Amino acid sequence: MKNFLGILFLIMGLSFYQAQLQEDVPMMKYEELEERIQKENDKLLVVNFWSTTCAPCVKELPDFMIINEKFKNNPNFKMILVSLDRPKDKEKVIQFIKKRNLTAEVVLLDDIKRMNTWIPKFDKNWEGNIPVTIFYKNGEKVHFNDGEMSKEELENTINKNL
Amino acid sequence: MKRFKTLFTAFVISFSIMSFAQKEKTGEPIKENTEKKGYQVGDLATDFQLKNIDGKMVSLKDFTDAKGFIVVFTCNHCPYAKSYEERITELDKIYKQYGYPVIAINPNDPKVQPQDGFKGMVTRAKDKGFTFPYLVDEGQKIYPQYGATKTPHVFVLQKEADKNVVKYIGAIDNNYENASEATEHYVKAAVDALIKGEPIKTTKTVAIGCTIKVKK
Repeated sequence: MKNFLGILFLIMGLSFYQAQLQEDVPMMKYEELEERIQKENDKLLVVNFWSTTCAPCVKELPDFMIINEKFKNNPNFKMILVSLDRPKDKEKVIQFIKKRNLTAEVVLLDDIKRMNTWIPKFDKNWEGNIPVTIFYKNGEKVHFNDGEMSKEELENTINKNL
Repeated sequence: MKRFKTLFTAFVISFSIMSFAQKEKTGEPIKENTEKKGYQVGDLATDFQLKNIDGKMVSLKDFTDAKGFIVVFTCNHCPYAKSYEERITELDKIYKQYGYPVIAINPNDPKVQPQDGFKGMVTRAKDKGFTFPYLVDEGQKIYPQYGATKTPHVFVLQKEADKNVVKYIGAIDNNYENASEATEHYVKAAVDALIKGEPIKTTKTVAIGCTIKVKK
């Protein structure tokens, strides 16, 4: 019985841990984001650029979460959502994570004055429209998706590169 | 890692040479980068006839005294566009007298983004005191020719022998959030240079904006 209870608590604890969402959003400059991306250089990394004010971004996020749930236990997979919201709207982003149950890691890129520097560094064809999604395999960019992505497109691109 | 990078580069180079040779052999044309559509700096910009918020049709050729234009693709709903409204009006106020008026065009399909409908445009222009034409890209035929991808997206044009030549493409400045904290004023610098007859230092910039809403 004791064992049973122990296991029960363990399961409860685990599920609580699983359901726990990010309570803070780290703010970073472009260089820090690059470092963050390079930290995942042993994985297929999906980086989605979005904003709480961007309707098509908000629309595609539930599909991204379904896909993230599907792949997140794969040690070779990681998803990062880069919010382009204003630093003063950070609280809004945190609330959004809760409300929309965003299970992927969220960071805020706080570097609006240097957009003309970092946008072309992510992709030379990127004009700055959002959403965009970039796929990195072992630290090298393998795909740049300009605009919205359907669940199928996202899943296919992951499967192709995983 | 370094060794890997060198190896990787060598691999990429040899692969490109191989694929190049392959294409040469089969006589296949080498594909140009067709992803980039729309105008580049130096291209001739098309004229248009689009409905203004007062119901009248507007074309660039109507502005017989103009030396050029500040064409701004913008809309009602987009937070980035909204944050630039006052600056767009300021550009018009400053540069109209030099012969470079602002022509704003809303490229969004109102069925996709209801706030960007004609009525919304009329209200927005009135509320914000727009001093410039605010045109509807009905049927979404003009913005793809220019290659606008987002709002706001600026194209500075210069009239040369009755043609409109694209001189600058991109953002208004480098701080959408706060005008007073912008350190680069790209559009102002471009038009100032045109007025003085000097070369434009920065002819192309990118910035985050709202993707143009296309009819489905």
